[in-house]
Amino acid sequence: MELERKRSLALSKGTIRSLYKAGISIGFALLLTSVLFLLTGANPFLAFYYIFAGAFGNVSLAAETLVRTTPILLVSLGLAISFRCKVWNIGAEGQLYMGAMLGTITAVTLGNTPLTLIISLLVSIAGGLAWASVPAFMRAKLGINEVITTFLMNYVSIYLIQWLLAFPFRSPDTLFPESAQIPSSAVLPVLVPYTRLHLGVIIALFVALPLVHFLMMRTTFGYKLKAVGENPEAARYGGINVGRTMFMALIISGALAGLAGFVEVSGIQFRMRPSLSPGYGYTGIVVALLGQNNPVGVALASIFLAAIFNGSTTMSRALGQPQGVVDFIQGVLVIFVLASEYIIRYLERKGVLKV
Amino acid sequence: MLTPLFFLKRSRVEVPTTQADQPPGSELALYVKGVNKTYPNGIVANRDVSISIMKGEVHAILGENGAGKTTLVKIISGCLKPDSGEIYIDGRRVEIDSPLKAVSLGIGMVHQHFTLIPSFTVAENIALSLPLTGRLSLDQVKERIRSVSEALNLKIDPDARIEQLPVGLRQRVEILRLLCQDVRILILDEPTSVLTPIEVEDLFKMIRELKSKGKSIIIITHKVREALTISDRVTIMRGGRVVKTLTTKETNESELASLVVEGFCPSLKIEHVRRGEPLLIVKDLRVKGDRGEVAVKGVSFVLHSGEILGVAGVAGNGQKELVEAITGLRKADSGTILVRNFDLTNRSPKTIIKNGIAYIPEDRMRRGVILTMSVSENLVLKNFEDPPYSKKMIMDKEAMERSASELITKFGIKASDPWISVNSLSGGNIQKLVVARELSNGASILVAEQPTGGLDVKASEGVHQKMMELKSKGVGILLVSADLDEILKLSDRILVIFEGRIVGEFSRDNCDMKKIARLMLGASA
Repeated sequence: MELERKRSLALSKGTIRSLYKAGISIGFALLLTSVLFLLTGANPFLAFYYIFAGAFGNVSLAAETLVRTTPILLVSLGLAISFRCKVWNIGAEGQLYMGAMLGTITAVTLGNTPLTLIISLLVSIAGGLAWASVPAFMRAKLGINEVITTFLMNYVSIYLIQWLLAFPFRSPDTLFPESAQIPSSAVLPVLVPYTRLHLGVIIALFVALPLVHFLMMRTTFGYKLKAVGENPEAARYGGINVGRTMFMALIISGALAGLAGFVEVSGIQFRMRPSLSPGYGYTGIVVALLGQNNPVGVALASIFLAAIFNGSTTMSRALGQPQGVVDFIQGVLVIFVLASEYIIRYLERKGVLKV
Repeated sequence: MLTPLFFLKRSRVEVPTTQADQPPGSELALYVKGVNKTYPNGIVANRDVSISIMKGEVHAILGENGAGKTTLVKIISGCLKPDSGEIYIDGRRVEIDSPLKAVSLGIGMVHQHFTLIPSFTVAENIALSLPLTGRLSLDQVKERIRSVSEALNLKIDPDARIEQLPVGLRQRVEILRLLCQDVRILILDEPTSVLTPIEVEDLFKMIRELKSKGKSIIIITHKVREALTISDRVTIMRGGRVVKTLTTKETNESELASLVVEGFCPSLKIEHVRRGEPLLIVKDLRVKGDRGEVAVKGVSFVLHSGEILGVAGVAGNGQKELVEAITGLRKADSGTILVRNFDLTNRSPKTIIKNGIAYIPEDRMRRGVILTMSVSENLVLKNFEDPPYSKKMIMDKEAMERSASELITKFGIKASDPWISVNSLSGGNIQKLVVARELSNGASILVAEQPTGGLDVKASEGVHQKMMELKSKGVGILLVSADLDEILKLSDRILVIFEGRIVGEFSRDNCDMKKIARLMLGASA
């Protein structure tokens, strides 16, 4: 009993610190965004009100926010795994596109069969995984920095797909470079009528999230991730295959990004388009950092960023402010998440804060 | 000039240097009054501690692990803030709120764990801590290093990379760095724990030199003999309090020992059982070092069950590479490593662990533990994939906690909770954790690199006791240590390593310390 109590206390201490970090990052991001609004002559309070109202104002808006959360959450859960082991996968965007493209090709090729959806989803997972396995191999076997390879492979992926959509897989019935529509059996069913809330939300929140949480917190793989991330030298000494762990972390994050891609196609777009993702692969990085690689934190951060994405459209219509504010908030968030540890330490030293 | 203090220093009245045969001058350099410190986790590290340091004095602070020595000097050097208490320097009350401030007041500390950047050169490392602005002129820094080091007779190559230097020289760089900042009160935290006997001699010579130049030196140690050798006065700490301050000349080993540990008497019985069959056979092993040089040049030996085989040598003669090849952390170029006639040459660390080779690494902070993870997680680092800690890839936290609590009690690790992060343990307790993990996993071979480095008398005895216990159970122990006393005390056989070759072998009955020391330095026996 005594130990149990102490343990929960010790755990909550770490959690409190993480919450402080997230709070500081969000606080500073909103503060700086307010300054930006003031400079462009808008009332920051009104702006944030519109963002909030635009994200959660009514049932259908809230449903849209959850729809937006889905790909962000899938991507960022994967990135949390890879970041936990300090493998910096910057290539989720390309992995997402690869998964979406291969999933779409599979769905279109198979046509209407009872297994189309499930096979296409699996192929999209495999697609993201395969795309990530190239930099993963280079990292694990050759020691090539994954930041550069994953990032550059985004361009390879996206331009390759643009070509595929412009020529071999272009739909005969449209003017744009996009694929044919996926068959109805490959579409993720809608959960709430008159909204776009589709089954993908369930996949993300109630399948992927608990699975990733379990994987990270309860399994030997989760232990290896943490050990390799925190001290690769000691991990190697302890008998952990550091290269293999990094490889696994990177391909799992690729797999989830690939899944996010096809979920977006089969839940929302129904076709593969070169404009499928407005940068979910990069938003996922912000989210994983803000959620501090904790799956629950990542889920909350996904909803937060999805809300900003959606709310800023409303805000922009109401106040005539640019939608680019979303990118601004994301950028500032990254900076302050990275700085928050130092800010907390500074406050502790000054005796303002006790964590 | 390079530092703003340079000017200040000039204008200060120079203190006449004391002669070695005189008692330290009565001029007070540092006075600490009534310092209290309680850590956030509730451990009271310092209770009403007062201490005075004279100019040109070597002052030893003697005590066990957790006696509060390190906390005290961390407060003096600005790394920690005391809860209450006052500090006076040259009679003036000062607030030391950061290490930078401490240095500006002339106080500098060499930590137990060095703070140098391995890939930088000596000059680059020293340049980092000098308050330079604008264009960095390394030549200027080198000039300064040369003038300071020549004045004190400390030979060092400013262009040498830190990673290429043996530990003794790294320590010298740390000290030199402080001297380049005009530090007058030098604090050394357990400076000899990482050094070989010869390096210790050099260090002591250096300390005497510094003292003759009027510097005050605070040396933290848990070794009574060391305090007796080097210090002018000794302050003994126990349980966070100052027990007594004595003039070294007026005390002796047994008085000090009884003050450090109440009622301590060494009880270790060394038995030399007859050795069993060969366990580990190393044949003509050649291993390259970090810079591609051949560090181990054809080493062969046999370790028997129930035997402690000591490897004596000055650090940097291939011991590290030899140990790493045996434990699978470094590729061997040629040769074989057989364990019970099973070839383990160049197998993965995991295979080697599974074949019963435990390893206590010298660099425990970097290799032995994962600082940001909990005590229980660290204790299962080598067997988390085995039951009961995990079944089918699923970890069992309760089993981890049970075994952690057990080991914490058994090895006397001071941790308030099995889930507390290793960060919050003292260096000595971290070593106990590593030893606990390695000695409890049922290995048949133990490779121990400086296993008692940084441990106090009681804890060292505990480790030695445990090693004897394993030995009596038939475990073969390869003891690599720069502490010749430790090797002589425990080993059944002693190998002397020099420049990657075994240059001498001694059995327990015919070992001659002088001969071994000569061989360690490359002289012919």
